[in-house]
Amino acid sequence: MRFQLLPQACLLLLVCFMTWVVGSLGSTASAGERTADFFGRHDSGSGHTNNWAVLVCASRYWFNYRHMANALGMYRTVKRLGIPDSNIILMLADDVACNARNKFAGSVYAEAGRHLDLYGENIEVDYRGYEVTVENFIRLLTGRVDPSMPRSKRLLTDDRSNIFVYMTGHGGNEFLKFQDQEEISAFDIADAFEQMWQKKRYNEILFMIDTCQANTMYSQCYSPNILATGSSQIEENSYSYENDNDIGVSVIDSYTHYILKFMEGINKTSQTSMQDLFDSYDPVKIYSHPGIRSDLFRRPLDKTLITDFFGGVAQAEVFPLQDIVGSSNHHENDSLPPTSQKPNAPSIPVVSTTTVISPLRLPGETHEWDDWRKEVRKWTSIFVVGCLVSWVSFVR
Amino acid sequence: MDTQPAFPVLVCLRLLLAVLPLPGQDLLKHDHQLSSPLTSYLRLNEGLWLLENNINPYTGGAFHHSPLLLSLFSTIVPPLPIIWAVSDAVGAWALLRIWRARQGLSPQKGTRSNAENLIVSVYFLNPYLLLPSLALSTSTFENTLTLLALMFASEGKVSSALLAIAFTVHLTPSSILLLLPILMVLVSSPVSYLASPRPFHGNLKRIPILFGEFTLYWLVLVGAACIMAGGSWDWVRASWGASLALPDLTPNPGLWWYFFTEMFDHFRPFFLMVFSVHLVIYILPICIKFQHDPLYAAFLLVGVLGTFKAYLTLADPGLFLSMISLFPEVHGYLRHPIVTTLLHLHAALLLPLQHVLWVSEGRGNANFYYAASLVMGMAGGAGLVDACWAGMRIAVGDATVWAEEKVDGEKGKGKAIWWEVVQQ
Repeated sequence: MRFQLLPQACLLLLVCFMTWVVGSLGSTASAGERTADFFGRHDSGSGHTNNWAVLVCASRYWFNYRHMANALGMYRTVKRLGIPDSNIILMLADDVACNARNKFAGSVYAEAGRHLDLYGENIEVDYRGYEVTVENFIRLLTGRVDPSMPRSKRLLTDDRSNIFVYMTGHGGNEFLKFQDQEEISAFDIADAFEQMWQKKRYNEILFMIDTCQANTMYSQCYSPNILATGSSQIEENSYSYENDNDIGVSVIDSYTHYILKFMEGINKTSQTSMQDLFDSYDPVKIYSHPGIRSDLFRRPLDKTLITDFFGGVAQAEVFPLQDIVGSSNHHENDSLPPTSQKPNAPSIPVVSTTTVISPLRLPGETHEWDDWRKEVRKWTSIFVVGCLVSWVSFVR
Repeated sequence: MDTQPAFPVLVCLRLLLAVLPLPGQDLLKHDHQLSSPLTSYLRLNEGLWLLENNINPYTGGAFHHSPLLLSLFSTIVPPLPIIWAVSDAVGAWALLRIWRARQGLSPQKGTRSNAENLIVSVYFLNPYLLLPSLALSTSTFENTLTLLALMFASEGKVSSALLAIAFTVHLTPSSILLLLPILMVLVSSPVSYLASPRPFHGNLKRIPILFGEFTLYWLVLVGAACIMAGGSWDWVRASWGASLALPDLTPNPGLWWYFFTEMFDHFRPFFLMVFSVHLVIYILPICIKFQHDPLYAAFLLVGVLGTFKAYLTLADPGLFLSMISLFPEVHGYLRHPIVTTLLHLHAALLLPLQHVLWVSEGRGNANFYYAASLVMGMAGGAGLVDACWAGMRIAVGDATVWAEEKVDGEKGKGKAIWWEVVQQ
């Protein structure tokens, strides 16, 4: 009786076997793909060669301490990740650190324990006080500045620049209040970005804004390569994170606080992507719903590195020592094999362990000051002088 | 050699100073009054170290010494303090021999007079000369070579004198001021004719020949230096060019540095030319005016160098002050020796004080030191002017002697008026 089912059993086994074979073949193909995907993930392919940051705090007065701290916290992060002061435009009212109400004069803190002074001695504020106006901001972005404007206050970007634009202050539905006097609207910003695109003044822009109803501010953008994120959606306020009891006011906003906390884990060589940053948004903790706009952004977010916007791009190529020193330099040791960096990969500091006993010389310099030639020359010159002296003394 | 008690004693003392470890020697080496960037021992050592390590010392811009000093100190002897002591002794010996030649005495014997002791003491114990020598500044060598040139010229040894002055000019190009007086001494005599001036009695036609010989020796030295430097000419720009172009504005007691710290760049070449020409314009007038006594002319030009040189140190006015002892005949005719002495004392006290106030303590500024260097300039100028005056006044003579000479007839009437004129 059981043997009558044998052909069916064999067929079933055959089918199972075939399935397994096909399945295993299929999974090795996807493993190869996964491998390529894993390695290819770090090829960001953004095509930028330099990074700029425009950090704007659009409010003034003591009670807007947290907006100043927001901007200064972003400034510190961006500087720490490698963007130099020359590539950062910091626009602050700057009336907080030396305010008469500041118990800790000359310092601005972003957390309640006052562990890290963001003001310090080494910050460079480009537009301060009453220079932070809508007109100056739009002129800065579009490049239509007065000829007398110094270079440090211009946005000298080109079409390979990635720009991080951060704005904070009091805002509303498609507007942002500048210093209690005027407003900039989402349309103005969108048009400014379009002018920049037309004039080839950026490669990609990350626009981040922390105000009430912030997401409305990027709703009107229409230029390509803009990635935007905001702290709260329409009809929603953004809230501050905490107060410091000795300073007496709120010291940081929630959204910016969590972004800065995320950034503390990033360094210059980090491979963390923008998608990871956006995944870290927690509307419960932030007390508002942050938004992301990536439809104008051509690259996938999980392949866009944080350091593409927040960090400075530094290229490093290591040449073996033989190329620098002349071939007569016979004291050198072996050098590391040259590691060439892909142009868009984040720079990894390469420490060369070669030790050169004799000092490096400029290429093209002759070998006159080498050992035996030098000795010959020294003694020859002494000999000439000695001959002269003895000839004069004894003959003449 | 000679039987003076002072010379051997002082030489022994000086050698002792060189051999014993003195407490403040490092301070002296760093002092800006005693050595300049062109003469500093520290820079000499740096050049020697760079040479040892196969680096061209002239690429750095800090080394301004001649390549011959490099080759000397890296082959025959290292730069030990004993060399400076020996150089001091040779300089004092040369000064003594110049004195003997001028007085017409035999070079070996001299006299047992106190004058010779005084001359040797004035050279060894002059703080303006002793301190730079203890600071191991190469200005000691320059002074010694200058004195050797004057010695050989006074004794009539033509080639030795020209070789010595060629060496001096090779080390400091400003010493070219002394070439014409030395040539004049060679063709005439070093004996004092200050009191009775007469037209130059030497054979002027020999001077171009001697100049040609000097140029020959100088070219050989330049060639030796080029051999040392390996055929490149950057040592010329570094050593001679420094006196002309003033690349290093380290403060010194001279008058140039402050002027050029505040100089706009487009005026710099003009004023460098003016300052350099200022040195050169003294040659002809002094040599013409003192053609009857070219050794005195050389002395005055040493004074000019000691006040207006590019990178002045205390050793340069020091040589001038020590050489005053060679000319005792003019001492009575100096109008304000006390003023000169006091100015020098003033400057010698102010210069280190203001330097410390400015550089070390930071309570003063460059103007303080500049004022002290102006006092030094005044002191040098006062000494120079006084020496010029005395050299000419001695020719006019003693007032009483003049009055006695004019006894004849009609001159007797004018005698009283002349007496009053001369009295002034």
